[in-house]
Amino acid sequence: MKSIYKVPDGKLIKIFLDYDQSTKIIESITIAGDFFAYPEESIQQLEKVLQGKKLDESLLEQMIKEFVVTNNVEFIGISPRSITDAIMRCSND
Amino acid sequence: MTEEWRLLQTGHLSAAENMAIDRAILVAHSKGKVPPTVRFYGWNPAAISIGYFQQLTEEVDLTACEKEHVEYVRRITGGGAVFHEDEVTYSFVIKENHPHISKNILESYKTICQAIMNGLDRFGVKTAYAPINDILVNNKKISGNAQTRKQKTVLQHGTILTDVDVDKMFRLLKVPNEKIKGKLIATVKERVTSLTHELQKDFSFDDVSNSLKTGFEETFDISLVHGTLSAEEQKLAESFEKTTFGSKEWNHQR
Repeated sequence: MKSIYKVPDGKLIKIFLDYDQSTKIIESITIAGDFFAYPEESIQQLEKVLQGKKLDESLLEQMIKEFVVTNNVEFIGISPRSITDAIMRCSND
Repeated sequence: MTEEWRLLQTGHLSAAENMAIDRAILVAHSKGKVPPTVRFYGWNPAAISIGYFQQLTEEVDLTACEKEHVEYVRRITGGGAVFHEDEVTYSFVIKENHPHISKNILESYKTICQAIMNGLDRFGVKTAYAPINDILVNNKKISGNAQTRKQKTVLQHGTILTDVDVDKMFRLLKVPNEKIKGKLIATVKERVTSLTHELQKDFSFDDVSNSLKTGFEETFDISLVHGTLSAEEQKLAESFEKTTFGSKEWNHQR
């Protein structure tokens, strides 16, 4: 599944997502786009963190928020909320 | 006494060489081996650079690139895809704790873009900063910029369009929706400009880089002294070119 989401007043997020249709477990995810994240490696780390997690809106947003705080990540043009929105657009329900 | 920073003029190089040199300067400066550095360069052949987080084949038509002899490279900085042809590209490397640079990333974008704007103002165009990373002339984009911070060092690079061929750009870049491609091209033509378009005359690389040099000197109250890459930087750049920016693993990593 793929989604393209233009963050209001922000950058573009492109999500490439594979998940198990019955369990809603994320099998693989790529968070791509023209945004900025510091340090850059944090996006790959976040993708790893999200792998194996359930495709659940509030759960995902909470996890991304915690990840940002724990790892001292700075986003420009995206946010935990907008990444979550972009991911949920890949879900077909 | 005015602080002296290094000025590099490295000419027009391949995409992989250009990105390798920027990274080499970052590494050398982070170790305190070279002064803060402003570099001006161009691209030969023309090239597309994509942002660190972009998916290559999603953004770039690789077949079209091959046909038109345009190279492509993934940057270490975030941001969007850029078609580099008729432009002056700069890079600026400085320690994060230098008194002239803000710890705050957004603030530092603004300060460095101000140096570019001060340089462009010398041509008599009216520039405006469009946060986070664009510079406008007459409400149209003339410059895009991207920053990374690694090893407590800031690297910001960006482009100043001297001329632009939007149709060629869209032969090389992919758009999310082919159906609205025509409309998108028309919009971009309205929203992007260049020095030649604004002032109806040709600009040489040196005209532009000389003005930008003065822009940096005024903004940071320093003087830029012509220099060359150190032997260590050259070695680093050769290595980065081979192992990173010239490699399929790096460019196709996502």
